[in-house]
Amino acid sequence: MQTYAKPKSIKENSSFTFCSGCDHGLAIKLVAQVIDELNIQRDTIAVSSSGCSVFLYDFLDVDCVEAPHGRACAVATGVKRAHRAKGNNKIVFTYQGDGDFASIGLGESIHSALRGENITAICINNTNYGMTGGQLGPTTPMGQITATSPLGRNKEYHGFPIQTVQHIAICEGTCFCARVALYDIKNIYNAKKQIKKAFEYQQKGLGFSFVEILSSCPTNWKLSPIDSHKKIEEELTKIYPLGVYKDIDHE
Amino acid sequence: MAHIEINSNLCKSCYLCINACPFGLIKKSAETGKTGEYTVEFYDKEKKCTACASCAMSCPDIAITGVFK
Ligand SMILES: Cc1ncc(C[n+]2csc(CCOP(=O)(O)OP(=O)(O)O)c2C)c(N)n1
Repeated sequence: MQTYAKPKSIKENSSFTFCSGCDHGLAIKLVAQVIDELNIQRDTIAVSSSGCSVFLYDFLDVDCVEAPHGRACAVATGVKRAHRAKGNNKIVFTYQGDGDFASIGLGESIHSALRGENITAICINNTNYGMTGGQLGPTTPMGQITATSPLGRNKEYHGFPIQTVQHIAICEGTCFCARVALYDIKNIYNAKKQIKKAFEYQQKGLGFSFVEILSSCPTNWKLSPIDSHKKIEEELTKIYPLGVYKDIDHE
Repeated sequence: MAHIEINSNLCKSCYLCINACPFGLIKKSAETGKTGEYTVEFYDKEKKCTACASCAMSCPDIAITGVFK
């Protein structure tokens, strides 16, 4: 008996373009498993963003639109509304980096949440701009050394990092938001559970649902994949606490 | 007999599966993969594998393509 198989929503013969040990692969696999379990492969439209996840359409076997840097939530809004106007209830989700969601696209992201746009956003928080070479991003913690903060992030020059999920939580249109991590098997299953919940809330039409995933970036952090996961467990989860920040079903 | 299937062509030698297996049944192999590092192999002489799929769930490249019980 087979207890695990490659998700059906991952394209046959595709191979991820990510670096060794990058959590982007894990996150995309979890999304694919959720799409399989909810049996919505034919009704899902993904909106991919600029960043390491730019080739999402090469991996996921669902319809996909490529959004300009930061505009994924705005594009997803259009996709969702255009289909709804024709009477089609499509499941629309964005898959974005932290730079994409919380810096260049912060306006689009927050206002989609405020409008209670009935879409799901997945944000990969790897604390830097991964694809372009590891520059300081909106979520880079104080003191972290990056390509553009060689002495570490400091408040005088760079200011403070953003707590993405907390900001989304205070938007009235948000129905569900959570921060998860992928550093061990328990957290991987929990991440899948929260992603599934976010999709289910969209199916029920409850509003904007959001999952922030604390992810590793071994290449730019200059750590091994295993040490990167250790860093997330020991350091990042203290700065970015995990948990469900809003769930209107429990209020 | 419980076992896993590994597609070495997809393995990028991150070794997260070695860390994830509760019984330590995955180890580095003698073959090198596409990153130039050693890939992994499944080694279960004492038949300890329970097909829990922790290794497959932890693999970021879906190189562990199947788990069987
Ligand atoms: C308008 C615009 N500005 C800048 C860029 C260059 N750019 C491409 S990817 C990227 C960084 C993306 O980082 P993030 O969203 O954190 O995703 P990651 O690569 O870390 O997954 C930048 C700045 C662009 N493509 N378009």
